Amino acid sequence: MTQLIRNEWMKIWRRSATIVMVGILALAVAAIGVFTKYQENGLTVPDNEDWKHGIELENKGYKEQLKDENLPEESVNYYKKQIALNEYRIQHNISTNTDYSAWDFISDSSQLISLAALFTIIIAAGIVANEFTWGTIKLLLIRPISRTKILLSKYITIILFGLFLLMVLFFVSFLLGAVLFGLPKESYPYLAYSNGTVKEINMIVHLMADYGFNSISMLMLTTMAFMISTVFRNSSLAIGVSIFLMFMGSTATMLLASRFEWAKYILFANTDLLRYFDGVPMVSGMTLTFSVVMLILYFCLFHFLAFFVFNKRDVAA
Amino acid sequence: MSVVEIKNVSKIINGKRIIDSLSFNVEEGEVFGFLGPNGAGKTTTIRMIVGLIDISDGDIYICQQSVKKNFEKAVQHIGAIVENPEMYKFLSGYHNLLHYARMTKGVTKEKIMEVVELVGLTDRIYDKVRTYSLGMRQRLGLAQSLLHDPKVLILDEPTNGLDPAGIREIRDHLRMLARDRKMAVIVSSHLLSEMEMMCDRIGIIQGGKLVDVQLVKDFVGTSEKIYALEVNKKEHGLEIIREKFPQSQAVINHLHIEGTFSKEEIPAIVRMLVEADINIYSIKEISKTLEDRFLEVTGREEQ
Repeated sequence: MTQLIRNEWMKIWRRSATIVMVGILALAVAAIGVFTKYQENGLTVPDNEDWKHGIELENKGYKEQLKDENLPEESVNYYKKQIALNEYRIQHNISTNTDYSAWDFISDSSQLISLAALFTIIIAAGIVANEFTWGTIKLLLIRPISRTKILLSKYITIILFGLFLLMVLFFVSFLLGAVLFGLPKESYPYLAYSNGTVKEINMIVHLMADYGFNSISMLMLTTMAFMISTVFRNSSLAIGVSIFLMFMGSTATMLLASRFEWAKYILFANTDLLRYFDGVPMVSGMTLTFSVVMLILYFCLFHFLAFFVFNKRDVAA
Repeated sequence: MSVVEIKNVSKIINGKRIIDSLSFNVEEGEVFGFLGPNGAGKTTTIRMIVGLIDISDGDIYICQQSVKKNFEKAVQHIGAIVENPEMYKFLSGYHNLLHYARMTKGVTKEKIMEVVELVGLTDRIYDKVRTYSLGMRQRLGLAQSLLHDPKVLILDEPTNGLDPAGIREIRDHLRMLARDRKMAVIVSSHLLSEMEMMCDRIGIIQGGKLVDVQLVKDFVGTSEKIYALEVNKKEHGLEIIREKFPQSQAVINHLHIEGTFSKEEIPAIVRMLVEADINIYSIKEISKTLEDRFLEVTGREEQ
């Protein structure tokens, strides 16, 4: 199995397109970094001695707003969250006077996960379909290895490739952030709010979790691209459908969710698990457990289709 | 010993019998030619042997292992090129071989280099396959199929698109592998003259059925041969020959008189023609080729 994965890894990295992808990803991080740095010079954080007074005033304002009975639920939740966070800061003496640091930069560049997802989808879409296009599938399948193992090794390689891109993103952001903005002078925790309580979380743990949750839709879309690639032997189709859904999927689901209850069964209603920690679910009544179960069901469905078709297929072309 | 046993194999696609109860064996150390017109089912049969296509009915045994039930055990004895040897063009020849070597247990780096040496690619093995000529790709394909010392070598149309030198090279390799390494070699082709030079035994397939299996020697050679005589008075000559040798089925074909004679009859014919004052410009032996036999056999089936 390791040998098969080494093969797939070699076939990915010996193509210049892959190197270009990593280059683009690193360049994108650099672009965000330079842009932020340039902007930051305009708005230096004032060394506000009186920060406690500031956020007390803020809370007063929020509470006024909350008295409005016509306020939408989302805003109510947002204000309640801000009030709770501010009160926690006052109680535990956690200053708001933090400079923009490498940590913030890593958090900001997590937007680029969608770029990493894009590249992973492209690789996933090609990993089976290309073997058919190149005609190499024939020499690949006449080895004393079951087709299931061959397909599994390809999927594992895709996952490793995705993880690799995420790590590149994380570490390039960290290094670049450290150079451009410096590390924070004293470590400060991230404050997380859920179900009315505030918790302190170690910054690195928070960032990892942030990346992890953001990667769920990447994992699902990659798995889908892999399935389409295997079933239809067509990498363009796999790339097209997956990327279209990546950009349009959640918007379309949102529209459907406002009208129909069944929208909660759509894949994209469930990919953003952070909603259950830091926001509201897409359709009311949805729970974390529900979404996780749905994700697992979709994951299994994609794999069942891919493995079933790959094992049954007559390689005639 | 039969290394490959094909037993009553059928392939049904969309209710149509593409291959119909095919049975034949291939022995150790023999080159078996698989011959048939386009669409007869050569490639389908070969793909069933290597497990690329499901076997609808019957079974195939490689060294007593069933391809249907025990694919991995059976296929480990097979090395194959199915149609053109498609390689990863962006990898070097060496990395292509390394790729396939990793997929079979116990193929060492030394073994890879040994095979490279055998097919004569040592100089170019670290170049990208993109830069290879068709002949070199064919040799790399052969190298790929020999990595694990298979007992059976299967080549689908191995000489397709090769120049005469390349064809000759492949032919010599196959003969050597069958003779020195006791491999059973299965070659499919529609190039009849090639098969004649390459194979020990030939199976003719048509319409998904095996029409005939014969040794090449029996298939081609008989003691009587066809001779073509170039003379100046063809009609007169033909008359004389027909009179004396009615069984020769002599006819006029373009510029020649053609007929079936034994070697011993030739001097008598010459004497007769000279006495009749007919000038003889040449006498040629036309060996009956595999092609003629092939057309005879497949043509007979059609009628």
